[in-house]
Order: sequence, then C-alpha cells, then structure tokens
Amino acid sequence: MRKKIGVYICHCGVNISDTIDVEHVREVISREEGVVLAKDVMFACADSSQKEIIEDIRREGLDGLVIASCSPKLHLFTFRSVAERAGLNPYNYVQVNIREQGSWAHSDNKEGATRKAIRMVRAGVARVARSEALEKTRISAVNAVAVIGAGVAGMRAALELANMGTRVFLIEREHFVGGRTAQWGDLFTTEETGKQIVGRLYESVRGNENVTLFTGAEVVKKEGNIGDFHLEVRIRPRYVRQPCDPEELQKAIDVCPVEVEDEFNFGLTRRKAIYRNYESEYPRAAAIDEKACTRCGECEKVCAAVDLGQKEEKISLNVGAIILTTGFDPYEPQPGEFGYGEIERVVTLQQFHRLLEMNREKLLFRGKEVRSIAYIYCVGSRECAANEKCKGTHKYCSRYCCTSAIHSALTARKKFGDLTVYHINRGIRTYGKQEVLYEQSCQAGDLYLQFYEDSFPEVSRNGSGPVIRVRDFLTAGRELEITPDLLVLVTGMEPRREDHIGDLMKVPRGRDHFYNEIHMKLKPVETVIDGVLIAGSCQGPKNITESVKSALSAASKAHYTLRKGELALEPVLAEVDREKCVWCDECTDACPFDAIQPVEYKGKKVASVIQANCKGCGMCLPVCPQNAIELAGYTDEEIESMIDALAEDL
Amino acid sequence: MKQQERPKILVFSTEKISDPAIDMAGLLKLHYPPTVYTITVPCSSGIKPRWIMHAFEKGFDGVFIAADGTDCPYGESCTDKTARVVQMTQQMMQEKGLEPARLKMAAICSVCSEPFVRQMKAFTEYLSRDGN
Amino acid sequence: MNTMNKGSYDALVIGGGIAGEEAALNLANMGYRVLMVEKDYSIGGKMIHLSKVFPTLDCAACITTPKVSEVARHPNISLYTYSEVKEVKKTGERDFHVKVVRKPRYVIEELCTGCEECERVCPVVVNDQYQWDLVGRKAVFIPFSIANPRVAAIDIDHCVLCGLCEKVCPAGAIDFTQKAVEETLTVRTVIVATGYRLFDPLRIPRYGFGRFPNVITSMQMERQLAPTRPYNTVLRPGDGKVPDNIAYVLCTGSRDHTVGNPICSQVCCMYSIKQAQLIMGALPMADVTIYYLHIRAFGKGFCEFYQQAKGMGVEFVKGKIARITEKENGNLILRYEDIESGKVREAEHDLVILSVGVLSNDEITSVFRGDTLETDEYRFIRQKEELSSPALTSIRGVFVAGAASGPMDIPDSIMSAGAASSEAAAYLTGDRK
Repeated sequence: MRKKIGVYICHCGVNISDTIDVEHVREVISREEGVVLAKDVMFACADSSQKEIIEDIRREGLDGLVIASCSPKLHLFTFRSVAERAGLNPYNYVQVNIREQGSWAHSDNKEGATRKAIRMVRAGVARVARSEALEKTRISAVNAVAVIGAGVAGMRAALELANMGTRVFLIEREHFVGGRTAQWGDLFTTEETGKQIVGRLYESVRGNENVTLFTGAEVVKKEGNIGDFHLEVRIRPRYVRQPCDPEELQKAIDVCPVEVEDEFNFGLTRRKAIYRNYESEYPRAAAIDEKACTRCGECEKVCAAVDLGQKEEKISLNVGAIILTTGFDPYEPQPGEFGYGEIERVVTLQQFHRLLEMNREKLLFRGKEVRSIAYIYCVGSRECAANEKCKGTHKYCSRYCCTSAIHSALTARKKFGDLTVYHINRGIRTYGKQEVLYEQSCQAGDLYLQFYEDSFPEVSRNGSGPVIRVRDFLTAGRELEITPDLLVLVTGMEPRREDHIGDLMKVPRGRDHFYNEIHMKLKPVETVIDGVLIAGSCQGPKNITESVKSALSAASKAHYTLRKGELALEPVLAEVDREKCVWCDECTDACPFDAIQPVEYKGKKVASVIQANCKGCGMCLPVCPQNAIELAGYTDEEIESMIDALAEDL
Repeated sequence: MKQQERPKILVFSTEKISDPAIDMAGLLKLHYPPTVYTITVPCSSGIKPRWIMHAFEKGFDGVFIAADGTDCPYGESCTDKTARVVQMTQQMMQEKGLEPARLKMAAICSVCSEPFVRQMKAFTEYLSRDGN
Repeated sequence: MNTMNKGSYDALVIGGGIAGEEAALNLANMGYRVLMVEKDYSIGGKMIHLSKVFPTLDCAACITTPKVSEVARHPNISLYTYSEVKEVKKTGERDFHVKVVRKPRYVIEELCTGCEECERVCPVVVNDQYQWDLVGRKAVFIPFSIANPRVAAIDIDHCVLCGLCEKVCPAGAIDFTQKAVEETLTVRTVIVATGYRLFDPLRIPRYGFGRFPNVITSMQMERQLAPTRPYNTVLRPGDGKVPDNIAYVLCTGSRDHTVGNPICSQVCCMYSIKQAQLIMGALPMADVTIYYLHIRAFGKGFCEFYQQAKGMGVEFVKGKIARITEKENGNLILRYEDIESGKVREAEHDLVILSVGVLSNDEITSVFRGDTLETDEYRFIRQKEELSSPALTSIRGVFVAGAASGPMDIPDSIMSAGAASSEAAAYLTGDRK
C-alpha cells in the first residue's frame, strides 16, 4: 500500500470549477487515508504547475500521484512524464477525469457533479494506493526476418528490409524464384514483362549481402515468439550444380526419358524431369524434379553438373519476425465447368497468358490459328447462391482478372493483328486508372456482353470448339450464340491449395480462406500471431502493385519492430498465479494471441504467459474458473477498491 | 439527499473505443445522471464477473458494459467473449436473486456519445421503475 | 513576413490524412525525426469526417483517432497544422531545402483548452466547411469535435473584430496580433501525402446541384450519417423532410470525358453501397436506388458487402442519368437510360445524392523547385516504377503515399503509405552508412 499520495484537483480555468466545487472536493480528499498533500490548481497541465508537482513529489517523497482534471486521452502521457521526471514510476500515477465525465457531462447538476467528483477522486486514490510500480520489460530481438515465398512480393519485402539494415532469409519452396509474376508476359502500366521484373529483382537480391536466398526450401518447424523465432528449413537437392555448361544441359534434357505436365505453362506443354521453365530463369541453373525423376542416370552421363548424389539438407534459422508472401493459386475450373476439360478449345486465363507469350507470329492453339476469342468472366469468383450453376464457395471478387483479361485481349490484338473478341462478363471492374484499358478495348472493337446473375452462359460443343449461348443484359435480354475459335475462362485467385506453412504458423484465415490480418485498416499486415506478418496475394486477391505495397508495408513494420535489437513490452500484461492454476486450458482458448503455454511447476502443469505475445487485453481473465489470472494495473484489488470508493456513501 | 443518488450505475468502459464516446458526451454537454460512474478497462471481454458481482454487493443498482463490438483493437472475437462474460455473470446474479436485467451490455463506438447517453437515461429509468 | 531557420529533420511528410499519418508513424517508429505539415486546422484528412468505413462498417473515427493522437504525441514527430509547404528544393542527395509558412490561427495553441467559451459569445455565423455547409459555425471555432489539435481558430475573413472572444477566454489564448511566419528547414527525404480533391458537381449543371436543394453530394450524406452529424437524423436540406425514396447517382465526375476525368474513382461504388446500408438502418422505411454503370466491388470483402446491400433491399439500376429536374414539392425527376430494358425512363425521388469522384490534388507539384515532380495524364503524382516500387516519383528522395498517386480506398492508402515509408527509410539508410 502506498501511503504518501499527492492529489491535485484542476480548475481548468473555469471548465471544471464552474460546475464542481473544487475546493470542497480538495477538502474532503485531504482527509483520505494515505493522502499527505491535496492541492487545487488553475491549470494542472501548465508548465508552472508541472514544475510545482515535480517539486512536491521530490520534497514530500510522494509514492503515489493523482491528478483530477480532464480526460486521460489528453494528458495521461503528460502527467506520466511529470511523474517520471520527478523519479516516480509512471504507473503510480492515476488520472481522474472530472471534466469530460464530470463538470461537462453534468453541468446541469452542480451538486451531483461535485458528489460524483469526490467519489471519482477517492477511487483514484484507492487505485493509486494499490498500484504497483510497473516497468517496461525488454527482451532481446534478433534483427533478422524470414520472408517465405520469393515471388515479387517476397523479393521486394526482402530487398527493402535489407536496404534498411535488417538481415533477411528469403525462403522459396520452388527451385526458381518469381512466383506467378514470372508466368506473366506483358504487364499493364509498364513496358516491362513479368520475367524482366523478376530478373531485375533477382539480380538485386543476389547482389545484396543482407539477403540469403534458399530455393527448393521449406520451413518444417517453428518455435519461439516475436523477437526470437527458431525455424527449421528443409532444403531439397536440385541435383544440378552451378556452373553448368549450357550445351551439356541441353543434352541432359534431351536424353531424359521422363515427361511430365509442365506446371509453369499450366499444363499446355510437357517438360522433362530435368528442366528449366524458361531460358533466362532464376536462379540460372536447371533442377531435377525429384518426384518425376526415375534416377536412370542418363543425364548424369552427358552433363558434368548433374549430381544425383546430392542430399537433402536441414538448416536452422533464428529470426525476429516472419513475413509470409506465399501467393495464390489460380482457380482450377471443375471438369465440365463452361466446357473446361471436356471441350478442347477452352482454356483458363492463365493458360491464355502463356499462349500469348509462347506464340510468335500467329496465335496458335493446338495447331489451329485463333482469330476469334470469347472470354467468360468471373469463373471461380463471385459465386453466389442465387445461381444454381454456381456451386462454388468463392463469394469474393478476384480483383485482378477483369483488367488482366482485357489487357490480354489488347496484347493479343497488338501481337497478332485484328481479332474478334467477345467479353462475356458480369460487370467490368477495371477500377481506378485501369479504366482506360476498358475504354481502349471498346475502341479497338472488342464486344462486351453481360450475362444475368441468374442465367449464366451455356457452353456446348461444336466439333473441337465451343458454342456459347448467352442472354445479354446490355441488349435487353437478347439471346446470342457465339462460336469462337477459343474460349478463355477468366479464372480468379484461390488461396494456396497446398498450405502447410499457414498451419505451421497458426495464421488464421478469413471467410474467403485467405490469410487474415488483424484489422484491415489498423493492422493491415499483422496477424494475431505477433511477429508473423502477411503480404501479397496470400492475404487476398491483389495485383502486382498492390502486392508490392503490402510487402513494403510489412517490411516497414518488421524493421521498426526489430531494428533496436530489443523489444520493449508494455507492462500491462496478464500474470498467472501458479499456486491456484490447475491447467484447465480455458485461458489458452480465450487468448487470441497464442500467448499462453503450459509449463511444469511443482510437479503440476500450469499456465504461463508468454510476455512477448501478451497484448494485455485481459480476455483470459474472466474465463479462469480458479480466478488465477490478474492483469497488471487492473488487479482485483485495484478494481474492487475503486468500486468500493465509488459506492461509498458521502 | 441519498434518495437522489439512486439508482447508481457502474459502467465498464474500454480505453480505446467507448471511453472516447463517453468523453465526447461530456464535450457536447449531453447530460446524463451524475450517478453514472465509469471504470476503464483495456477490452470489454476482460471484465471479470466477480467485479460486477462486487459492484452489486456494494450497492450499485445496475452495471453497464460499454462493449467494443466490432471495433475492438484486439480482434473479432471480442463481441462473443464479452457476451459470454455477461451470460456467466447473469447466471451468478440469478443464483443470488438479482434480476439479470440489471446487467446490460451494448456496443458503444468511439463517437457513439448519443447512444451512450440514451442508454444511460433508459437504464436509469428502468432501474428507478424497478423499485429503487 | 518573418523568416526563421528551424533546423533539420530526417523526413518531411506533406499532408496529415491517413496516408501521411501512417507514413510518419512508420518513420518515427524507426527512429527518424519527422516533420508533418498539414494545411488544415486539424490532421485526420478526409477520413476523420466519414461515418463508417466499408466493408467492415467500423466507425471511421474509431480507426483514425488513435492514429491521429499517436502522431500528435509521438516524440519523433513535429506537427505543424494550418501550415503550408511553399518550397521544396533538392540541393543534393538527401538534402532538401524547405520553406513552410505557418499561418496565424489567432489563438495561442499551447494555451487554448478547447473549452468553447469563445464560440458561445462570437456573434458571427458562417457556413461550417467541416459539415460540408449543411449547418453554420462561428467565426471563432473549434474545427470539429474530434479535431487534433482540439483548439480554437479565428476565421479572420469573417471575424468582425468585436473582441468578445478575447474578453471571455479563460486561458487568455486569443491573440489578434499573430502573423504568418515563414520557416526554412532542411530535410533528407520528402513524402507527398496530399490526398485528393472531390469532384465539384456544379460542373455538371444538368444534375442541378446548387440549384435544387435536395440534390446533395455524397460527402454531405456522409456527414448526415456520421455520429457527429449536424442534424439528429437524415433529412433533406430543402425542407427538413425525412426522405423516404433516395437515389444515388454514381460516377458523378468519374469515367466522364466531358469533365476531363476518364478514370474510375475506385471508392464511390463502395461508399454509396455503405451509405445505402446505413440509411436503411437509420430510416427503415426508406427506399434506396443506386444508378450505376458498373459496380466496382473488387476489394477484400467488397463483393460480399455488395450482395449484403442487395439482400437488404437496395435497388440497383444500371443506367446513366441524363438529367435531373425538380418538381414543385422539391422532389426530383431523374431521366435515365435503363440499360436492362434499353428504354429511356423517368423516376421520382425525394433526395438525390451525387456520388462524386476523386480528382487529383496537384497544387503541391508547384512548390518543387529545380527538379519537377511529374504528374501522370490524370494529374496525379506519377509513379516512376508503379509495379515494383510504387512510391517512387520523378525526384529521387521524394516519395508518394496514398491517393496523391491515384484514387485509392483507405486500406490501399495505408498500404501505399507503408510502401512510401519503407522506401524512404531505405533511401535514408544510405545516408547512415
């Protein structure tokens, strides 16, 4: 109990004293137990008053300070710093709000307001008497970040962190970097292709001494917490050493007897078990597809760089934060969805992008020239219960596909000359400056048809080609039949189908099953797992610019959290009484921040708060059947003594 | 004089969300009875039922939880968890023969001054009718 | 004007809206000393005046005021409100010379306690710009209840110099002798977060804004729906009647070559859908119709939010409004091409809200001397490498955050500010090495 408490009651000019009898309050309070000094002041926040308070604290050796004035929103920090300057722990200061919640709220009732003020100040005194001196806990933090996924978002986050002076481990599951952007050809708003951007970023990553890149690597274990995560990373062998003679490599590819579907080209082509997705791919060394390879050894015979004896490696990393930039998967239409997989001349938007890049003079698909294209939009996006054709659960809009589809049509026109193009859509969403693409496409002669929410286009077969029947909203419901050379399904984005990393990190997913941030506006790249950040399209559909912006935001947060090499934790933390705790596990369920773990204590299992993760929300308090948890600054003793003071008769 | 001081209401309010609304009610001079007292906590889902029960024991007529609702800075689960606190407490109240309606909860956003004042007036009226 | 040399900062952030705040806080948390210059009386930008924000419907003030107060009290941030950057000149790598004019508010910021005594006695009433002219304010006034700093200012253009405020101020904070002061500073990097302007619908006379009192802008409706709203309910300004058949005209000033703005403003569809939902909450009997060209519900949770509005009964009509005329009772006739039927139709509504678009705020480019801060064809700050470095501008060391580079919603502005702060920090780090 603190016994030398100083109380100051502020007039705030006349803002308080017009309604509240400040002198009377002072007089009543001066008789309270533990109060050794009670003053009224004209403006407590004025410089002169602050000096006076500091002198009083020092002279009287006060161990508790109460200032009854305005809202703590305005001056809690002012007066905490007054306390600190006088050598008093800032948590032995209590502010009582007798202006906003006193004189102003009750300016119609002076007597009532004065009585309320007396009780409020008494409660403040009661609280400060039981207050503990709290210190910010400091824990050391490793100024290093693991960025998981080396697509454009991951590489940008890594580079920026490195440039700001934070060590980065960039971990890519595939043998090559670049993610989805490498699969894109021409991009909207720049003259650069996806591959060029990837190449440029890769060179910067390689040239940066603060970044270490691992390819073919996966995090298999995570322990620890913010400031001090321990990761175990498994690195699969690529079986091809660098440097590698290009001619020998070509021979190795030629002799490889195994052919599999080429995922890079979304199954449009086939590749060997030893492969590169494209000539200039980064890292500039081929790899052997572990799963497909039969270990026949033919390649090893013709290429000196091949080494089938390479073994899997495991490494440990110690980082202070983790940024997930694991990207998305394109929606894979169901067999038969708008003819996909059943009618030959039906492809997805992603496949079409590959076709555009792979074809040179003529746009060919399976040997036949394409002169007319129809797009059906929102395949795998905006799926709604209103339409029975829409059995999927992807209610969200995939954001990038309208622009991407229109851009692909314009690119096709530019590259292959005049084409007939139909956009069968559900309302074009070329938001912002992307609008100009839509306009350009209309001017180029692209035809736009819109289908109704409750009547989707029907696709049937005519030989190897599709026939589309659609009722067009834009022409008062006219039934139209279109027989394009190629039907492109504008497929959206899905969360990664294979996602052990999300489970490992315990990152929550939203209704759309993408990773969920804590708060879209307040904490847009943070997750409830402190120190685990998300960026790019693993968080929800985004285009390249948007992905990069979120990646750089995450980089900024991670950097300022770790840059000092230590974290200062707010002292308002939960604390478990180990004697009382019986480990019923209720608190771990209640904690949204994964801040409670079991530990051994006197031969029993008890709950223990991971200070680095605790946010001081108190959600664990009410669920404890033993009442074994208290929140610093909000202990039972403090709260109940305040209630006593507020309830007391005058 | 004591007569006037009834009914007494204790408000549990949250630092970041409902406190600003209550402050602003004062700022805008939206009057409510001075028998309403506020204790600030970080988050409404961290209020212990025993605190509420303690308030009733000590003579408060009503307890009001100014909840964070969906604006809670600690995440979406706040609303459900606060509701659970209310449920648990109301059960304890019933066991003690206290009318559960003496504990009220409503989401008060950081500028919801008017709703707060309306709630206080209505609750005061309700508790007065209740025979206090 | 007096000129004072005020030393140096690591970063100058121009604009105290949500983007500027986010960028400033990130840099300040990294240990850089930041000067934020805001031309208005309060920071908070446009966001602080909004009702709720889509698609989560959390209250705009609850989101923005914590950031606002964090900026105001951050030890690494100096805040100049009611001040304007007049000149920025790059004199070398990580070396910019800046001139800032601090305009007089005729109230001593440090003394004012925000008690409003002055407002009570001031005899002058003029339109309140913070309520978008829906109601009045005094010539000496606290900008708005959640302003930061929450101190009074005197609108000298309307003040009659009666001196009543000076007499009544308990803190002695009124000072009619204040003068504009020019300060010169050096900074090492600059973040432009000057936001956007709203389209002025007077430029489309056929919509009748300014002539028909019951044609209002979306920002005026935003204020009517905000908890700190001017009236206690939603009503139409013409006669104070509570409306029951409300129309939204989307793309007012967007996607429209006739007003020189061909691009989509990116936020109007969603804020209109949000307002429609809030109106249905406030006035359960009201009908709301949204006239649109395309619904741009593209972001996280947006499409679900759009479906929710439909489920609540908001009418969506695809059609371009040709003309609005007024009836004697103040109701409005909307003539439009109904795209679904292909026919020209007319509909009567008792309140029309023009969903005004987002325009560039390019005045700031004129303060740059020597190097040019380039703009794009829509006069937004040009992003030099939009895809891989979205915050870079034409001047090395000057970064752009938020809607200064193009229309953007709040989450995107915050992300873009995060990008600007990390690019700026990387640029500054070169300095430290």
